Amino acid sequence: MNLFQFCYGLIHWLVDLINNIWYWLGDHLPWWFGNFFTDVGDFARSHAHIAVMAILLEVLIIIIIALINVLNFIWLDRKFMGRMFDFYGPYYVGYRIGGWLQNLADGIKLFVKEIITPAKADRIGFFLGPVIFVGSSFAALVTIPLGWDFYIGTNSGPTVPGVYPGVPASLLIAFMFFAIAPFSILISGWSSNNKYTLIGGMRSAAQMMSYEIPMLLCVASVVLLAGSFSFHGVVAAQHDIWFAIPLFIGFIVFMVCLVAEVEIQPFDLPEAEAELVEGWTTEYCGMRFGLFMMTSYLRGYIGGALAVALFLGGWQGPGFIPDPIWFLTKAYIVFIIVEWMRWSVPRVRVDQILNIGWKRLLPLAMLNLLVAATLKVWGVF
Amino acid sequence: MPAKKRARSPGFVLRPMFRTGTQVGRSLFLGKPNTILYPYQKLDLPPTYRGKHTLDFKRCIGCSNCVQICPNDCMWMQKLEDPELGKIERPGIDMGRCLFCGFCVEVCPTVAIHETVEFELADRDRSKLVFSPLDLRDDKYADKVVEERLKRKLPLLDLSKCTSCEKCAGECPEMSVAMMPMEGVGRSKPEINLAKCTSCEKCAFACPEKAIVMEDVYESYFEMPEPKFLLMNCTGCGACAKACPADVIYMVEMPGTEKTLKDGKKGKPKKRAVFVLEKCVGCGKCYRTCKFSAIEMAGVRK
Repeated sequence: MNLFQFCYGLIHWLVDLINNIWYWLGDHLPWWFGNFFTDVGDFARSHAHIAVMAILLEVLIIIIIALINVLNFIWLDRKFMGRMFDFYGPYYVGYRIGGWLQNLADGIKLFVKEIITPAKADRIGFFLGPVIFVGSSFAALVTIPLGWDFYIGTNSGPTVPGVYPGVPASLLIAFMFFAIAPFSILISGWSSNNKYTLIGGMRSAAQMMSYEIPMLLCVASVVLLAGSFSFHGVVAAQHDIWFAIPLFIGFIVFMVCLVAEVEIQPFDLPEAEAELVEGWTTEYCGMRFGLFMMTSYLRGYIGGALAVALFLGGWQGPGFIPDPIWFLTKAYIVFIIVEWMRWSVPRVRVDQILNIGWKRLLPLAMLNLLVAATLKVWGVF
Repeated sequence: MPAKKRARSPGFVLRPMFRTGTQVGRSLFLGKPNTILYPYQKLDLPPTYRGKHTLDFKRCIGCSNCVQICPNDCMWMQKLEDPELGKIERPGIDMGRCLFCGFCVEVCPTVAIHETVEFELADRDRSKLVFSPLDLRDDKYADKVVEERLKRKLPLLDLSKCTSCEKCAGECPEMSVAMMPMEGVGRSKPEINLAKCTSCEKCAFACPEKAIVMEDVYESYFEMPEPKFLLMNCTGCGACAKACPADVIYMVEMPGTEKTLKDGKKGKPKKRAVFVLEKCVGCGKCYRTCKFSAIEMAGVRK
């Protein structure tokens, strides 16, 4: 039973429960309602309606899981950073669970703050920036499956052998949505009408130039070995060996590019706190800033999930652990290592990132593609 | 000089990561973070920390040196009635104006004021920041702390017992005791040069009247002004002797100044003030008390 079937069953049961009362009402109310009750009840019981509701429920479940994980990630990040710099992280709010509730408290605080739009800002762009950023990140999130049966699907899975469940080109869709964020950063940086935000947005665009191509080349090598554009296909191809082992160079390049993609420490040029005040989020306040911050951690979560799915075997693991838990454990480990690097190394300069991207990572990514092609020709995969 | 190793690209990342990793390991497994959880844990402050003051009522002589040196004018002398010590004057402190410079501690000739490590003095009411001497009183604190200032045993003269026998001057091996004549009195008193004195206690042993006593005296950081006496203006009223906190001033009769009364008898002789400047703490109380400008003191506010 996959997630769609579970949700379908749940919605069906709920609709039946309500329809009992609804039909009883239609039987006992006066005659001038005509067939209204029966028509509405029949529509609610139809396959199309229940399927749409089931898909909505699936999306809700995936997003709630992601948000809980984001809370965990923020807490883990702050606690880990604290220990690294020899202080306690969050401590008092949620004292008995290690200060876990601090993030919720911060969120409530951001919710009650006023949202100010600068007087000379471009209002539409200023509003659209967070919308595109958050929307594209969630869109990238919902394409990623957490297990063989735990994904957002529109049917109960294929019956033909050799066809993978889920969206056929889910990997391409995920990377497409994942790469939209720099545009929203540029939009919000431009529309804030502030020199720091503008420089931050421009830096984001320049940074995207340098890391996007090596990353997609690494993804291309993975797709070449797996022979499929869907996450299920890629993970299924890693049943015997993780792609991180034959494509070790590609894994390293992919991780570096991922760090640049989610804009954390060595490559957080758009949000360089020492140079630009708060980078492209300088003019944002209240829950808009909260959404930006939450989404940047959400992108960390997506990045970890992508790395796990593409290179670290996805949910492949010992059978007694459920797939999603095994998948998330790997994602947490990737995230912790990335955070470790984040709080250890200084920021690169804006000219250095172009050097790194074009002189180091691009040749390495080409070499990696060559390795993948050789392995494919030899028939190893 | 050995050639410096040039770090390669992975070294730029792995070396700091190793450093922070060991830090996390140490912090997680070997101990706690360096931070103090302030309201629950308190910092171990050094004993020389400048916080709220304490006042030792038994050491304090009420000289008001602290009140005079205070740069912010936040101290005042308060008159008190103590069951043990009688009528006394002790300083109080307005913490709202205090800048914790520590001058009052340094200037105190008997080291009666100390600054403690207590720093949580904030209050919603401004009047609660004003501490009277009774709030500051802690007679045990001064004995507990180790003071930086050196103590020195010095011979101090009680002029009322002195008979001008000159034995102390003859006994002193360093020639630091000199008999100086007191103008108008007709006898001399020993003046002790404290710079020469080696604290050998021979003068105290030699004195037949026990007028010289060896006492522990704190060395002062400050060079205090000394009173200059003008005999011409002195009326012998004795106000300065009453005001002096350190028993420096003695009223001595001047023989030959008695007035002849109408019935032929002679009246009481005039008195004059005699200063034993070795004990003087330089507070200027005598200068402020004297109404006849018989005492001059440079550098002291009237």
